[in-house]
Amino acid sequence: MLKITNLSARVAGKDILKGVNLEVRAGEVHAIMGPNGSGKSTLAQVLAGREDYEVTGGSVTFDGRDLLELPAEERARAGLFLGFQYPVEIPGVNNVYLLKAALNAKRKAAGEPEVDAYEFLTLIRQKMKFMQMSESFLSRGVNEGFSGGEKKRNEVLQMLVLEPKLAILDETDSGLDIDALKVVSAGVNTLRDSKRAIVLVTHYQRLLDYIVPDQVHVLSGGRILRSGDSTLAKELERRGYDWVQGAQVA
Amino acid sequence: MTPALRSFAAQWQTRSADSLSPVREQAMQQFLKLGLPTTRDETWRYTNLRSLAAQSFVDAPRRIRGGIEPNASLSLLDKTDRAASLLMVNGYPTMPVVDGLISGIEIYSLQEVARVDPDMLLRFLEPLSDADQQRWTLLNTALFVDGLYLKIVSRVPVPLVILHVAAADGANNIAYPRIIIEATPGSSATIIEHHVAQGDHTPLSNSHTQIALRQDAQLEHYRVFATGADATHLDSLSIRQDRDSRCKQYTIVLGGGMVRTALEGHLDQPGAVLDSYSLLVGHEERHVDCVNIVTHGAPDTQSNQTARAIASDASRVIFNSKVIVEAGSVHAQSQQSCRGLLLSPTAEIDTRPQLEIHADEVKCAHGATTGRLDPDMLFYMLSRGLDRDTAQSLLVYAFLADVLTGMSVTSAREAIENALIAQLPDSLTLRKFR
Repeated sequence: MLKITNLSARVAGKDILKGVNLEVRAGEVHAIMGPNGSGKSTLAQVLAGREDYEVTGGSVTFDGRDLLELPAEERARAGLFLGFQYPVEIPGVNNVYLLKAALNAKRKAAGEPEVDAYEFLTLIRQKMKFMQMSESFLSRGVNEGFSGGEKKRNEVLQMLVLEPKLAILDETDSGLDIDALKVVSAGVNTLRDSKRAIVLVTHYQRLLDYIVPDQVHVLSGGRILRSGDSTLAKELERRGYDWVQGAQVA
Repeated sequence: MTPALRSFAAQWQTRSADSLSPVREQAMQQFLKLGLPTTRDETWRYTNLRSLAAQSFVDAPRRIRGGIEPNASLSLLDKTDRAASLLMVNGYPTMPVVDGLISGIEIYSLQEVARVDPDMLLRFLEPLSDADQQRWTLLNTALFVDGLYLKIVSRVPVPLVILHVAAADGANNIAYPRIIIEATPGSSATIIEHHVAQGDHTPLSNSHTQIALRQDAQLEHYRVFATGADATHLDSLSIRQDRDSRCKQYTIVLGGGMVRTALEGHLDQPGAVLDSYSLLVGHEERHVDCVNIVTHGAPDTQSNQTARAIASDASRVIFNSKVIVEAGSVHAQSQQSCRGLLLSPTAEIDTRPQLEIHADEVKCAHGATTGRLDPDMLFYMLSRGLDRDTAQSLLVYAFLADVLTGMSVTSAREAIENALIAQLPDSLTLRKFR
């Protein structure tokens, strides 16, 4: 579904990604772990199409299409979703407006009619209930005045409504207490099926107790240094990132 | 003397004497002595009147041939609204046929007041100010022929719309609309002044509105400028507030080739609160210059100024605001928030919030930012699949929301929103997301 080959990228004149290789197949959940500053968030943003992040080499295909050729909005309509590490607050734009506009943009791209207003509200309420979000969300601006945890729940809610083929979740676990972590994880797990794929970008092993990945990768210094199954995460937890970085030097 | 000053002096010669003549004479002499403001004057730094000074002006007609059908019309009210309206053509009021047409508001023409109770009127006209933001008020005081005096005597349940129609019978007309609003103790009302134009030429409008709020009075006042690209409008508004009175003031500039609005607020007694909102939209090659000066002259007074400026194409928008806290005005609170949004590389926004504090124990804050659309917000929306036009339009709309949401007259708010949207780029996509 997603094939990243030798991807390099630069942010504000600084080389961050230095040849990333990764292949994610339908039905799989991958976790990308790594120390701060290793390029995890840059990778997520580059995949979502952030314009001020300059791709300097390599290629990315998504369902056989050249992903890097597409602007951000077309990547989203093609079924790619980025759950932001720091979701931005947009006062004055209603949460529901945005979500409805997003869903309709996707449906339009797929040649489907716009969603019926009543159906949409029913859908949202059902997903909100699952994510244990308060009704007041409906009348508020996008992420406006939300706590860190509420913002992350909102990201997952959007994902559940948009049902992407590929979800890239950038540190969706950071800043969550244990109860919120369970809710968010349950949300992510409902999306897990043979047709979709999920990439979890995370700093801690904790999330992977709730969403068990098929593969774990360690990104450091802009490259994937090591890949393995879910036991790799546990080993990292025990031995720290120095272990992987040290192994590379040796 | 410039051609403009000579023509104003000539107009003065044609005025017939009335009970106000001594103060008018004084105002005229003061105006001629001071001359037109120039960019050397503090509040006129960004607005050059040189081309105006080179023209000669004649009085705009009292009546318009044919009916009233303003070409730049936007109806501020729904047909279903319960509201009252008054019409002013080039500053001349059309008086309602039946007295007491509007429950809770007594309506008089200024000519009538000048005849019946000149002393009362003089208390509003004096003292004359030589401050540069009041320069055109001097000329208005000298030359207005008629106008409206509205006395709010109780709680008025419906909004009153004053439709100002500017219509010339040739080039270089000038009009002097004058309105005095007095809210008696404990009264409340909503008044909307709506400036539109009709016909091929639009007169230069030199309008002045004075508002006096007595103890515990409440007023929501709007001035909406929606004239065409050829119109020049010089408007000033003065608000004086007594104890525990509240004023909510909206200045909305949607049109006009050159619009200058001044607001002078005086919080004269404790407990007075003034909330002013300015929504300034520049497009094409328009020039919008807004000056707000609020003086806290008593303890425990409060003022909030919220301005949102948008400039697209090659337009220029200026927002100058100043808060003065006079000695002894302890526990005064003021807040100035101005945000500017540039939608094109050739547009310009200048903002200047200022504070002048002569008292202790006051709480004053000010902030001004100007920029382009936030790239993080834009990317967030794009990453959700919205197309770029829609995302940008939504952000522009969101930018204005702080000012729009506080308006209590829903239909006026919607009409203003529609008019705003029509002037913004990508208006079609924006409309869908209302």
